[in-house]
Amino acid sequence: MITAALLAFAVAAVVLAIAPRAFSGRRAAELGGIASAVALVELARIPIGKPGTLWAEVDQPWIGSPGARFHVGVDEISWPLALLTATLTLACCVWQWQRGTSPALVALLMVIAGASLGVFVAQDLLLFFIFFEFALVPMWFVIARWGENATGSKQARRAATKFLLYTVIGSSLMFVGFVLLALRGHSLQIDELRGSTSLTAAILIAVGLAVKVPLVPVHTWLPDAHSKAPTVGSVLLAGIFLKLGTYGLIRLNVQMLPQPTERIAPWLAGLGVLGIVWAGFACLAQDDLKRLVAYSSVGHMGFVVLAIATMSQTGIIAAVFGSVAHGLITGLLFFLAGSLKERYGTASLAALGRGLYGRAPWRAVAILGAGLATIGLPGLAGFWGEFLTLRAAFEPASLLPQTFSIVLMVIATAGVVLATAYVARFARSLLQGVPTRLDLDRDLWRREALVVVALLLPILVLGFFPALITGLFPPIGYAP
Amino acid sequence: VNGGWVIPINWDVFGPAIVLCGGALLALVADLLTTKRSFLLSWVPMLAGSTAALVLDLRSAGFPVGFDGIILVGTILIVLASTVLHAENAMPPGEFQFLLGSAATGGLVIVGAADLVTLLVGLELLTLPSIALVGLRQGDRRAIGSAWTFFLASVVSTAITLMGIAMIYGLSGSLHYGELGWHGGSGARAAFSVGLVLTLIGFLFKIGAVPFHAWVPDAYRGASPVVTAFLSSVSKAAVLGALLVLVYLGFPPESSGVWLPLVAAVAVVTMTAGNVGALRQNDGVRLLAWSSIAQAGFLLAPALVGEPLPAINAAAQYVAVYALANIVGFIALAVVSKVRGSTSFDELAGLARTDPWVGVPLAFAVLVLAGFPPAVIGLVTKYVVFVPVVSGGWTWVAVVMAINVMIGLAYYLRFVATLFAPAEAAGFRSVGGSVGVRVATFVVMVGALALAAASLWPSAVLDHVVAVTIEPR
Repeated sequence: MITAALLAFAVAAVVLAIAPRAFSGRRAAELGGIASAVALVELARIPIGKPGTLWAEVDQPWIGSPGARFHVGVDEISWPLALLTATLTLACCVWQWQRGTSPALVALLMVIAGASLGVFVAQDLLLFFIFFEFALVPMWFVIARWGENATGSKQARRAATKFLLYTVIGSSLMFVGFVLLALRGHSLQIDELRGSTSLTAAILIAVGLAVKVPLVPVHTWLPDAHSKAPTVGSVLLAGIFLKLGTYGLIRLNVQMLPQPTERIAPWLAGLGVLGIVWAGFACLAQDDLKRLVAYSSVGHMGFVVLAIATMSQTGIIAAVFGSVAHGLITGLLFFLAGSLKERYGTASLAALGRGLYGRAPWRAVAILGAGLATIGLPGLAGFWGEFLTLRAAFEPASLLPQTFSIVLMVIATAGVVLATAYVARFARSLLQGVPTRLDLDRDLWRREALVVVALLLPILVLGFFPALITGLFPPIGYAP
Repeated sequence: VNGGWVIPINWDVFGPAIVLCGGALLALVADLLTTKRSFLLSWVPMLAGSTAALVLDLRSAGFPVGFDGIILVGTILIVLASTVLHAENAMPPGEFQFLLGSAATGGLVIVGAADLVTLLVGLELLTLPSIALVGLRQGDRRAIGSAWTFFLASVVSTAITLMGIAMIYGLSGSLHYGELGWHGGSGARAAFSVGLVLTLIGFLFKIGAVPFHAWVPDAYRGASPVVTAFLSSVSKAAVLGALLVLVYLGFPPESSGVWLPLVAAVAVVTMTAGNVGALRQNDGVRLLAWSSIAQAGFLLAPALVGEPLPAINAAAQYVAVYALANIVGFIALAVVSKVRGSTSFDELAGLARTDPWVGVPLAFAVLVLAGFPPAVIGLVTKYVVFVPVVSGGWTWVAVVMAINVMIGLAYYLRFVATLFAPAEAAGFRSVGGSVGVRVATFVVMVGALALAAASLWPSAVLDHVVAVTIEPR
């Protein structure tokens, strides 16, 4: 089932690459949509197994001498993320259902989606790494070729290169960590390496993933890449790519290398919270809506990393929930911001004018809904990730001293206030007020509305039924 | 050891070299016999000779193949693709094939050498024809200039190596691998170390390692890309193989304290300087030339493990993939330069669209060199060279290598992006070119297909390229 999902993306990418003329415009998007839908169905029909075991596991020998295997499977951590990947890709294909869609763009989206899915399901370090790297070059092309101001834009190209080089330096260091682990443990299988104690490897891996997440000092690639990318590029970057980082931290650091990770957990937690606050202030200062959403991602990922750094059961649930919720919410926000940009040619709040409620009511309501979800309003998916994170920070299981952790918790809570402030700010300046009508005013296209509804729905459902994700995990034990 | 001048000959090792050399001589004689310029007349004997040498090699040594196999396969591919020079009147075909065959023979000799004199003779047999090959194009002043640079660098390096070998011979009283060493106290040891370092410097010159790399970009650019393909793949594989065999099987294990830090420093500096140099290039050939300097650092890295088996095998596996990718790359550029007259980025822009049969394989080969998926084999062989480095305890070198993977990607990606750039001009199509160009294009495609197949089944390379199977000594 997992293999079928991977193959669906691969086949679509190959077909689009070989016969671009047969699939131009809408037909390319249709083919991509079908592939994503097949992948989604294949992933959804994986029977839910016991927590901590691999579901739908496939384990085949692949490369003899280094002992790499084609070993894939999902569990309670990766399954929701795998589903998220297929969902967002499907949404992207619906979004691209327009006349001018290039088959090459859809092909690259397929590669990105397949590679990301591969990272979530890989249980072999080399396979993990190959998938991890596979998505990078296609993403470079997506940003550089279809980014802001269309072809040949120097800015988009520079942003793409910055993104790529940051990520690659991180992943190369992670690679060295993998080699260290493989040599110590005489294996490349993640489950067999569990309990390894190499601090160097843990640091190298964490640094590599921190670039991807991104954590604060190495986050500078993100605002440029996200804001210069085309809509679907931003969605996949924010919705899926950042999750590769947080997922890696959970799978490789917390689960595979618990002992050495305990020693770096305080750093992760501190940087995560720094990110929450930093992003909050940065968002207050942004005029460009896409940049604003990009910075808000840094804040949300800060929450997720704080949750991971507690290394407790609650923390892991919070991280998974937070990742999925962020994928849906930020994906939605980027779709909406991208739609504005495609419509008006700019996402600058000043240029967009005021009173969107009166000019394009459905668009305005959708933006408000996504904004509220970003704040973490109860009843929407964003709430549970943040709530559980704060809960986990109150009772960290790692070496995080509890006082330190509670201080972090308080600061993080202040971050929620900041988030409310910046959402209120753009809601006030963009949505409310006396409408400044522009010639280009138009409400959502039908395909856009479809994407918005398709993403708002799971946000609501997860908000009201968090057990859909938390129920996959064993019940949280309360420490006496 | 008495009777040191009697060099025992292992015909299993030497046979293919003789056959290859025979092919080269035949090509020269065939060319001499006619007064008319005929490409086929020298091409056929050379191709037959190299193929026969490979068959002989496989029959005596069999699978898995080692450095000799890599040299022979590379030579065959280059001879095949040399048809791209078919119509080039400035390139004398007989001389070209003869020199190519001689150089390849030299390569075979040095990887099979088990004593210092054979090594030195083989090294010269490899180098002198290579120099001539660089300057072979008649009336090409730049090529002749490049050949001069190459010649001077080479003569100096040979002199240094000779000096080192003389010192080692004086101290150990033997020229045979495994008997090299020193007798006596720390003075002798120090002298031996000096001799060893001098010997290695000569090798580092030939492999193009920094700070002995200055001749590489000049020679690679001045020569025809077909010759450059040979220099960067076959010649480099041979020198690397000979170097590793010498340090691990020739020198006593106690000497590793001398050469390990030297190799580590040179590898680190080489990959960094090569990559930084490549960043600024705007010409396909020059970019690959600098990249091959950087790759020399990666080629040297596995030597750091400190044990012969993993070092030599990891290097062989890496060089096999690297050599094939370089051959595909340079031959593709040879085709482009033949059809379009230049390999500058302006000319290469959009090649993968206007001429996919050359452009796509070229892009794939570049991705192999970068070590990025979809060229999985490049990534897997990167893993193969990282493992011995880390397992030898050189984690800091591995970290520098990781940073270099990033720098490398910066220009490899620029190259790939150029190849896939939206192209306005229709351009020339290599498939519509002359027969010679078409054969070369075919070689490019076959090589790229092999790399693609190896990306799906990396075991095909890793299991079948093993230079040393049992622990010697």
